[in-house]
Amino acid sequence: MKFQDYYQTLGVARDASPDDIKKAYRKLARKYHPDLSKAPDAEARFKEIGEANEVLKDPEKRAAYDAVGSRYQQEQAGGRGPGDFQPPPGWDTGFEFSGRGGDDEGFTAQDHSDFFEALFGRRARGADVRRTSMRMPGQDHHAKVMIDLEDAFTGAQRSISLRMPALDADGHGVLQERTLDVNIPKGLRAGQHLRLAGQGGPGLGDGPTGDLFLEIEFKPHRLYRVDGRDVYVDLPLAPWEAALGASVSAPTPAGDVELTIPPGSAAGRKLRLKGRGIPGVGGAAAGDLYVVLTIALPPAGSDVARQAYEALKAAAADFDPRASMKGGAA
Amino acid sequence: MRSSDENRVDIVEEDVQLTLDELCRACRAAEEQVRVWVVEGVLTPIGDAPHEWRFAGASLRRARLALTLSRELEVNPPGVALALDLLDEIETLQSSLRRRGRA
Repeated sequence: MKFQDYYQTLGVARDASPDDIKKAYRKLARKYHPDLSKAPDAEARFKEIGEANEVLKDPEKRAAYDAVGSRYQQEQAGGRGPGDFQPPPGWDTGFEFSGRGGDDEGFTAQDHSDFFEALFGRRARGADVRRTSMRMPGQDHHAKVMIDLEDAFTGAQRSISLRMPALDADGHGVLQERTLDVNIPKGLRAGQHLRLAGQGGPGLGDGPTGDLFLEIEFKPHRLYRVDGRDVYVDLPLAPWEAALGASVSAPTPAGDVELTIPPGSAAGRKLRLKGRGIPGVGGAAAGDLYVVLTIALPPAGSDVARQAYEALKAAAADFDPRASMKGGAA
Repeated sequence: MRSSDENRVDIVEEDVQLTLDELCRACRAAEEQVRVWVVEGVLTPIGDAPHEWRFAGASLRRARLALTLSRELEVNPPGVALALDLLDEIETLQSSLRRRGRA
């Protein structure tokens, strides 16, 4: 198990005041909040920061952590291998955790590191699951899933694996793996949510089961960019195809289409295929597919090719590719 | 555990309108909190009285974002409203970048 240096995670000194810790946490949380940050590791960083804050902001947990930490550092100095951390037996005697913290359950309360769980146990996520005769609907659960863009074009049934916090028979929190067969409806867009009725947490008493909400992201695609319902694809053309016009085959998520390239097409020209984007739902119009033309140059590697370029140069003697750059300093 | 898909699947943003109670449960927010957001214009339900409120499906994402902003970063409700407006604007700008193939 890896020892987590929570002070280092927050970038504060070991004797930092609660205010310093709060300030450092806020600053990092703003920087790495997955909804605010586009950094690829934002979500992982945000979890680490949240966990460090959860321990250091709580005087009881911080004291316990400090006690374990200083012992670990002595062992490190004594030559025990790095990264190998085991909590000493009986380390937590003398600390009493009041076990509060019901209402800050949210982002930070999920997915603690093994290290955190070895020290503090896994807090049962459904803190309100008590032996009670109360009737209460189950909690709604949330998860993010990645799907293929193509699935939004055709609709599809996909198996999705989720790890969900749950309580085992002894009331301990465990991560339970489960696989769901989910119907991906045609016309689904990135950022939208699917609601799976009755797939959330169990209700209390005879309360109904909660719902499961899946936030949809598209897996990054080699060819396509997506904006709402519109899909963009770059289509490389040979110079003569762009200049003379051509009929070429272009890929779309729903299969190849035959495209007529008008003569005299410049790079960057967009051809719109109306209604060939992500299909509309409930009467909304389908998105469009935009084919953005790019021009690929054949190499001048052979004598014949070089002669052809020379001939073109002679034929287009008046052509100034930088004409648009002239005419004033603006 | 494997569950089959006999249950309903809805696209929240297309097919679903949420009552105050449903929205609170779905994003685990207190009712009081949601009422404050409505006053601040973070969420705009249709209907006059809170028990008549119906929130568009897109409110779910907004409410969850608002909740993390206020919980994790202790942003106050007017600040949440401002942050969400700015995030919308960033989204619009990013979408125009995407259309140009630069993001």
